[in-house]
Amino acid sequence: MDWSPDEDVAAAFSGGQPDALALVYQRFGALVYSIALRSLRARSDAEDVTQQVFVSAWQSRSSFNRGRGTLGGWLVTITRNKVTDALRERQRDSRVLLQVAGGAAVTAPETPPDHVVERIVLADELAQLPESRRLVMVLAFYSDLTHEQIAHVLGLPLGTVKSHIRRGLQRLRSRLEADGVAH
Amino acid sequence: MSHTDPEILALRALGETAGTARDAEHAETCPRCRAELARLTEVVQLARGDGAGERLQAPPPQVWDRIAAATGADPVPVSPAAAAANGTSAPAVPRIRPRRGLRTGRPHGPRRRLATGLAGLAAGLIIGIAGTAGIVHLTQAPATRVVAQIALSPLPQFPQWQGTAGTAVMRATASQQLMVVTLHAPRQLGFYEVWLLARDGVSMISLGDLNAGHTGTFIIPPGTDLHNYSRIDISLQPFDGSTQHSKTSVVRGSLPAAALGGTTSPR
Repeated sequence: MDWSPDEDVAAAFSGGQPDALALVYQRFGALVYSIALRSLRARSDAEDVTQQVFVSAWQSRSSFNRGRGTLGGWLVTITRNKVTDALRERQRDSRVLLQVAGGAAVTAPETPPDHVVERIVLADELAQLPESRRLVMVLAFYSDLTHEQIAHVLGLPLGTVKSHIRRGLQRLRSRLEADGVAH
Repeated sequence: MSHTDPEILALRALGETAGTARDAEHAETCPRCRAELARLTEVVQLARGDGAGERLQAPPPQVWDRIAAATGADPVPVSPAAAAANGTSAPAVPRIRPRRGLRTGRPHGPRRRLATGLAGLAAGLIIGIAGTAGIVHLTQAPATRVVAQIALSPLPQFPQWQGTAGTAVMRATASQQLMVVTLHAPRQLGFYEVWLLARDGVSMISLGDLNAGHTGTFIIPPGTDLHNYSRIDISLQPFDGSTQHSKTSVVRGSLPAAALGGTTSPR
């Protein structure tokens, strides 16, 4: 099966190594920020949430259990919670504003839509694939080329392309399930 | 009865008609194969989404500064690897400019050029956060058709690029034409930029920069005369602040006749 550098990052993190947070941020910063940005649609809010997620993850690192799930999944869960908090706070602010203005605001609390999180996790996993395998998957998803045409265009044997596609899809699926974002 | 070959299931999830009629029937009737096909199909639908895929975007540098300050971590800059990241890209807004002469209205000094290039490396251009329309169409196939598939190859005068290759898939929607470009080339200092070259060999239109995954989806500016701008060129651009073509062409290809349907004005 695929070697996963994420395991090393998770090990360093739960071991509390001094540079571990930087490693974790380097690996997952874009994932966390992208989810926050797509959910909150405001850069400053997304930056705040990203900061909160990593600070909170670092402070509560002893509660991360490598046996129970992936570090990515754990961070995604924290991100969802912080995004929900940010949305609640926003709602509270708008309610105060409305009250001041003499109106009443009753709206359902929002949460980040699942498919946004799922799609960003997918993009993140796609990015972890080695160059040639990522290219095969990108073409398979977005180019309308058949696997024969992909093999031709990339100069790869047909069997290699078919294998990359099968393993690529499986790996993306596994990541969704491991991070607990699949239904 | 034996189960459907996993490779055939994977291809069927992508929408290809792989395997025999017997495979197709089995994948429909066998609970195990049907469930597996559904699992993989969901991945494909999520990935395709609105046809462009979701982008990863790296947080700006100050976010790490704040985290480091709050946790006592070493504040040495850390750049999250949205970089190696983006396998896909949302359409970048094309910039039109002649090879020399007029600049576009935006500031383009070396700093800006570097910033754009680095942003491209770090995360690629993100199309507006406002671009939320796409998430509505999760399960729909992209409403585009392929107009042409163009192989991009290195030029003989650049021996250092032998071994690289690229593809450009031209797609049309009801209102616009897109160029989905993929480059198979080594990671280099600098960034790759996609151009449409005119027949005179001088005029060119910059479609935009490839992301760190060496892919990009670009809108062909409406009104472009593709009879004239009939070649696609990918250059390696240094971070030198120049907005002009570096004259280092990595790969090139020509639009086939089928793609030259006049201008790209909306129909």
